[in-house]
Amino acid sequence: MNKILNIFLTFILTAFFATSTFAATKVVWWMESSADTDPTVQEMMCDAFNAEQDEVELECVFKEDINDTIRPALLSGSGPDMFDTPGASYIKIYQDAGLVKSMQEYADQYGWQDKLLGWAYNSGVFDGELYSIPKNYETMIYFYNKTLFEENGWSTPNNLEEVESLAAKIKAKGMNVYAYGSAGWQPTHEHLVGNYFNTYAGPDNVYKALIGEKKWTDPEFVEAIELLRKHMVDEGYWSGDLETYYSLDWDDFNNEFATRGSAMLMIGTWGFNVTATNFGETSDDWDWNPLPILNSQAGSAPNYQLATGGTMSINAASKNADGAAKVIDWILSDKERALKVTGSLGYGAWLLPLKYTDADFDPNIDPRQKRFLTEFAEASDSGNYGYTTWTFYPNDPGVHIWKDMEVVWAGDITPLEFMEESQRLWDQARADDALVPVGKR
Amino acid sequence: MATARFRQRSSYINHAILIFMALTIILPLLVLAFNSIKPSSEFGANPLGFPNEIRLMNYYDAWVNGNYTQIFMNSLTLVIGTLILNLTVSGLAAFSLAVLNPRGIQTIVVGLYLLVGISIPAQLFILPLFLMWKSLYLLDTRIGLIIIYSALNAPFATFLIRSYMLQLPTELFEAAKLDGASVMQLFTRVALPLSWPVFLTTALIVSLTVWNEFLFAITFIITDEYKPISSILFTFQSRFANDYGLVSAASILMAAPIAILFMFFQRRFIAGLTSGATKG
Amino acid sequence: MPKFLTSINAISWYFLFPVIFIHFFVVMFPSVLSLLLCLTDWNGFGRINYVGLENFQELFRDRVFKKAVKHNIIWTVMFLTIPVIVALIIAYLLTGIKRGQLFYRLVYFFPYILASIVNCLIWRYIFHPRHGLGGWFENQGIDFLAKSPFAMKETALYAVAWVDMWHFWGFLVIIYLTGMYQVDDSLYEAADIEGATKFQKFRYITLPMIRPIFVLSLIIIIIWSVPTFDYVYILTMGGPAYSSEVVANHLYSQAFQRMNVGYASTIGVMMFFYVAIIVGFFAILRRMGWEV
Repeated sequence: MNKILNIFLTFILTAFFATSTFAATKVVWWMESSADTDPTVQEMMCDAFNAEQDEVELECVFKEDINDTIRPALLSGSGPDMFDTPGASYIKIYQDAGLVKSMQEYADQYGWQDKLLGWAYNSGVFDGELYSIPKNYETMIYFYNKTLFEENGWSTPNNLEEVESLAAKIKAKGMNVYAYGSAGWQPTHEHLVGNYFNTYAGPDNVYKALIGEKKWTDPEFVEAIELLRKHMVDEGYWSGDLETYYSLDWDDFNNEFATRGSAMLMIGTWGFNVTATNFGETSDDWDWNPLPILNSQAGSAPNYQLATGGTMSINAASKNADGAAKVIDWILSDKERALKVTGSLGYGAWLLPLKYTDADFDPNIDPRQKRFLTEFAEASDSGNYGYTTWTFYPNDPGVHIWKDMEVVWAGDITPLEFMEESQRLWDQARADDALVPVGKR
Repeated sequence: MATARFRQRSSYINHAILIFMALTIILPLLVLAFNSIKPSSEFGANPLGFPNEIRLMNYYDAWVNGNYTQIFMNSLTLVIGTLILNLTVSGLAAFSLAVLNPRGIQTIVVGLYLLVGISIPAQLFILPLFLMWKSLYLLDTRIGLIIIYSALNAPFATFLIRSYMLQLPTELFEAAKLDGASVMQLFTRVALPLSWPVFLTTALIVSLTVWNEFLFAITFIITDEYKPISSILFTFQSRFANDYGLVSAASILMAAPIAILFMFFQRRFIAGLTSGATKG
Repeated sequence: MPKFLTSINAISWYFLFPVIFIHFFVVMFPSVLSLLLCLTDWNGFGRINYVGLENFQELFRDRVFKKAVKHNIIWTVMFLTIPVIVALIIAYLLTGIKRGQLFYRLVYFFPYILASIVNCLIWRYIFHPRHGLGGWFENQGIDFLAKSPFAMKETALYAVAWVDMWHFWGFLVIIYLTGMYQVDDSLYEAADIEGATKFQKFRYITLPMIRPIFVLSLIIIIIWSVPTFDYVYILTMGGPAYSSEVVANHLYSQAFQRMNVGYASTIGVMMFFYVAIIVGFFAILRRMGWEV
């Protein structure tokens, strides 16, 4: 009896130890939670990854307000193996404090530099090493009511004169030029500022100002702000007048655009989904265009402002960094799958900055969406890209640019004074070493 | 009340003014009530009036979409937790000030201390407190917020309970002491049972303050799971901004418990708030 | 056990200890920290550098802060006049009627027990340019009233104050009522015999007799108006263009949006001094014998 018991116990213990040593390494990933997309991400990313291999077991944890919960977790030395942040400026802070692991060895090992678009890879490089990879990117464009334009014989504008004459025609028909509103999200103002900086002053100038070669008080920026002020306050391009713009929220202005309250919608690419849905219920057709260049100094071709929406990084204290790197590589390697995932999310999330080509796309994709993805990949990889303020500005100037824009619109300060204050905050940020990395142009 | 002839005649004007002012209160509240049962399609055509179509499902949606059971429990936890901590702590202190040594130096010292405490604006200490709580891992916890609320309500509660206990007949305490009661027993066997009215009043006021509290709630609790009603309603209204029916129903769900409590105990509420204000 | 540890005196201190401890820990200690932090330029997680009075200098140059202080003063003045006068009149009228007292009291007091967020939602809806009164005016063709008062820089502060006043004056009514009930009826009867008008009775009997409560209510208003935060934050966030920014709001955005811990503490210290001066002022008046 004892002998059988001994054998039995030995067998159990061996099996136990065997499975522990051969057990999969567990990687925990804290992701930014969003009620609509979480289930899809879980299924198409996390579960799919686990199903395809046995070495790493990925556990995705969706956290609301991950921004505030990740800090104490990282500081305490525990926390997840991988985590998301809203953008590069956050990574900078963590990297400074030594809380993020350098992924340079993995990048070299797996060849990530070739898989990612150039600017995307550069955006995560600090002190020469890769620390974060963007999960999603967005840019600013505008949508227009195609049917309305055809009915009235309007053509989409390509420069400032055409913009202003089209605006006059639209207003003469009793409609608003653009729909937009800041009631739901006060920092909305920064979208407009960024648009005018990049289409009037131009990305080359913006880049120089970002790295300190130019001053923000130079005339091209001041003029851009003045133009924005004129269009908003004097001409009421956005939803008719300044006060209405302040009072409308997301649903209000999307409705306005879909019901011919305005002819165009100047918004980021996150607007694809809701525009498609809204117009699906009307008989009008829609399309999109990159923002028209308002001044020749901004270049001869339209540019796409870069905005990385969220990054992924590895916790410096993680014990399973290799496993985490495997997860990341899996994500970056299959372009078709990446497109499928982001397609199910309406292309508003998990749009990885990979080098997409025609062949990678599902034939069912909306051609307008496909046109955007391919044109963007091509343009941005060849240098026709610009800079959004919320991705490339450090915290203080970033808040100032939208908060104090209201003061310019109110007429309490001049555009020059506004830019002087911006320059002052930039100088301060530079002195405090709080700048966000700007990839080489 | 004297009801001289003068008053009779002008009572019509009186009533008119009073009713007018009452309407300024009632009408906006009615709008909220109407909106809470209005289907969202009707808001464009009929923004302020009584709904043509009644949609009670708004309440269900608010409850389910807003995960209200969890939220209610959060707020309830905060209230009950604060009541337990606050009433205990303030009750003990009030007992000491009122019964143990009513004319001693304690009254002056503590009185002064708590008086200064009331005049300190929350903004002076909210930021260091936030950083302290972060390092103590009390941030984003309900117990952390309970401790804060208990402290914030302590001066008011202590004063209120004390002013009541001052009126307790000292013979009862003398008699109990002769019977060999310890000081703690004086508190639990004599003072507490006799003071239940003021404890009830204090509990009502503190519940009101905690339920409605906003600034500390949005600062100290960050995870949606733990958020109480006041902060959830704040995020709710931006997330579901355009479904006014939903948001209105959610608001009424928030206001309802307090309103009901108020209806039942309005005398105590009012007495407590006003005497607290005057004593403070 | 030595007698002094168990004597009544010691025990009475033990009973006081929990409340003092918890209050000190939550309120006093961080407040002292604030007083120290205002001398630094800390940003919440980096190094703490001593910078002396630099924050105060920056504060005096801060255009937004000056605007916020101005708004706070306007706010206090508004609250000292409008709700006070309305509440006095209403309370006085209420003492004159027999029926319906309870009804009126409940109605007037009701907004006070509603959470600030609920009150804000109600009024933000009513003032919405598309869905509320604004939409109705627009349909009638009266365009200039169609804009939301929260979105116009000229009216933002007053619109926010309106909502807070709407929620607050019922509280004053109840307080004044309490005071007015304590006035001796015989005084009124004597006045009636002499043929006094309602206004004269109000001015010469009611007002003087409720003076303690009345002055107390003014003090409460002044003190409570300094940290006023909820309504501004929820309705306008201090906008547009800082036209409704108040000091508490400014502190909050400096502290939690821009992480300027040192600077934010400076604002907090200023607020405290402001309140302390007011409280001290009234305490001294009382000391000097003024009936307060």
